[in-house]
Amino acid sequence: MNEVLLLQGLVGGIVFGAIYALIGASLNVMVGVLRVINFAHGEFILAGSFFAYAMLMGLGLNPLYAVAPVAVLFFLAGYGAYFVLIPRLQRSDEPETSSFLLMFGVSLMMIAVLTWIFEADIRPVNFSFDPINVTLLVVEDAYGPGRDGRVIVPTARIVALAVNALMIIALTWFLYRTLTGKAMRAAIMNRDAVQIVGIDVHHLSATAFGLATAIAGVTGVLLAMVVPSVDPNGGPPLALVGFVVIVLGGLGHPVGALLAGVLFGVVEQVATVMLPQAAAQMLGFVILIAVIFFRPSGILGLAVSR
Amino acid sequence: MANVVTSSASSAGHWLRPDIVRQLIWYLLIVVLVFWCITAPSRDANLSLYFSFMMWITLASSLNFIAGFAGYMPFGFVAFYGLGAYGTGIAVKVLGLPIWLGVPCGAALGVAFALLVAPSLRLAGIYFAIVSLSLAIICQRVVALLPEWLTGGSLGINLGVVADREHGYYAMVLVLVGVLVTASWLARSRLGKALKAIRDDVEAADAMGIDVARSRLKAWLLAALFASLVGGVDAWFTGAFDTQTAFDVLVTAKTVIYAMAGGLGTALGPVVGAGVLVWVDDQIWRAFPVLNNFLLGLLIVVLILFAPRGIVGSLMQRFPRLRRYVM
Repeated sequence: MNEVLLLQGLVGGIVFGAIYALIGASLNVMVGVLRVINFAHGEFILAGSFFAYAMLMGLGLNPLYAVAPVAVLFFLAGYGAYFVLIPRLQRSDEPETSSFLLMFGVSLMMIAVLTWIFEADIRPVNFSFDPINVTLLVVEDAYGPGRDGRVIVPTARIVALAVNALMIIALTWFLYRTLTGKAMRAAIMNRDAVQIVGIDVHHLSATAFGLATAIAGVTGVLLAMVVPSVDPNGGPPLALVGFVVIVLGGLGHPVGALLAGVLFGVVEQVATVMLPQAAAQMLGFVILIAVIFFRPSGILGLAVSR
Repeated sequence: MANVVTSSASSAGHWLRPDIVRQLIWYLLIVVLVFWCITAPSRDANLSLYFSFMMWITLASSLNFIAGFAGYMPFGFVAFYGLGAYGTGIAVKVLGLPIWLGVPCGAALGVAFALLVAPSLRLAGIYFAIVSLSLAIICQRVVALLPEWLTGGSLGINLGVVADREHGYYAMVLVLVGVLVTASWLARSRLGKALKAIRDDVEAADAMGIDVARSRLKAWLLAALFASLVGGVDAWFTGAFDTQTAFDVLVTAKTVIYAMAGGLGTALGPVVGAGVLVWVDDQIWRAFPVLNNFLLGLLIVVLILFAPRGIVGSLMQRFPRLRRYVM
């Protein structure tokens, strides 16, 4: 096995893994606090990508500048959307299944709107940093004497990774060190008990929905930097990655999801280098099923068997 | 028929007993529906619309076996449909069988897959849903990895030359009759009642002496059987498919939505839901070619928020008397 190729896959894996970790973390907040199986999560992310794309096309701004406005706007949109969509849902017989279908409807609407505004083609996101690439490592004589192998990463990916790491640190701090964050973790553990101790569960849930939406939007911006193209139909695979990551990491366990995201990204990217494409794409799901069957409790130990 | 007697012992002897009326209404509906579909080619109607009408009723009804009666939500339902199509295609193209023999081969493949993944029935709620979804994706990828002489590679399989479209249409009528008869049997049978008991309270059902694992497996295999038959017949009717169309997530999503829109747990629900929504979908496509998916999504959102039990379920909740007449 070529050492350079493997290292290249590993670096890509960490970049993508961090993105997956962020997807898993936001989906986990939503699933954990609200019990909403968000099928539209991929479209929430895409909306962030398209926001960055629109800012680039309209104002000529680097996607990096989209991070802050997306975070604020998406939080407000999510906070408001909660009151329209979710409270009615809690009254149905099976809130989880209903939420899945509800969000499927939302996802159809979002794809339609994105396609209507931006048309159905896959668009390149043309922006660049100076320098375009960074050489991380030089492996001497990798391709025979005198021909060195280089592990090269686009600068945009390194910037995205840095922003990503900051987000993860901020989120962890928020969930473990602030009162609202602790209330959210409490709601993940026991929604009813949270109401008994006098927490305004609607405000908390709306905040969680807004937070998850904001993180998803920022993830989209970062994704547009890592994979510089936008596609209105690219949502479902992203949502699926999110589900895989939260099951691997343990449903309702935000930090577990971070680890699982990185793991999933590294496995996927290294496999892409080493296996045929279809087999590489399959590997993550095989791991997922194996985990559910052989380590069914995840990290938190929630009951998964009937 | 033991259950018929117990459910209405008080009014025994009167031929207008609710359960008899209920069955009359249901079977009359089936006969009208099937007659209406069978005569469509001679009425020169839009065959594609009628075909998708029958196809979605069948898919929604078979989903109801596992989702409505047994309480599982298989988000990878499309795997059966896709394997049915590929089984049929391979049997016809590679083995050289006639297409009417190919479709049962496809169904056998679907049922075999259902047996293989039956251990996933041990999982609860969202875990089952996610594993099911992943299995469907794995299926698609495995088919994509198979050699080209077998599955046609990225071009898929074209049956247009060997498969007659109108025969495919009539085959769909047969499958539709099959699923409706099975649904009416299940609604009244011991198995159907056992499944509902398990869905509502596993421990209680187990204590009553119901074989939980076996009952669930039967519902699972029945659902798989009809879904893969639909896959095969759809391949027969449309003539061509590939890994993208045969394993399209939208097939699962639409099936679930149509079944839920009508109301899970009754035999009538999925028929009403699929019937109404296929028609609405068609109208939306005609009237608003640009924003059709937006309106479909909006319809789903409104439906889930304001009628979470579906059309039939909400009506039954509003007018409890109807319960006596709904199969």
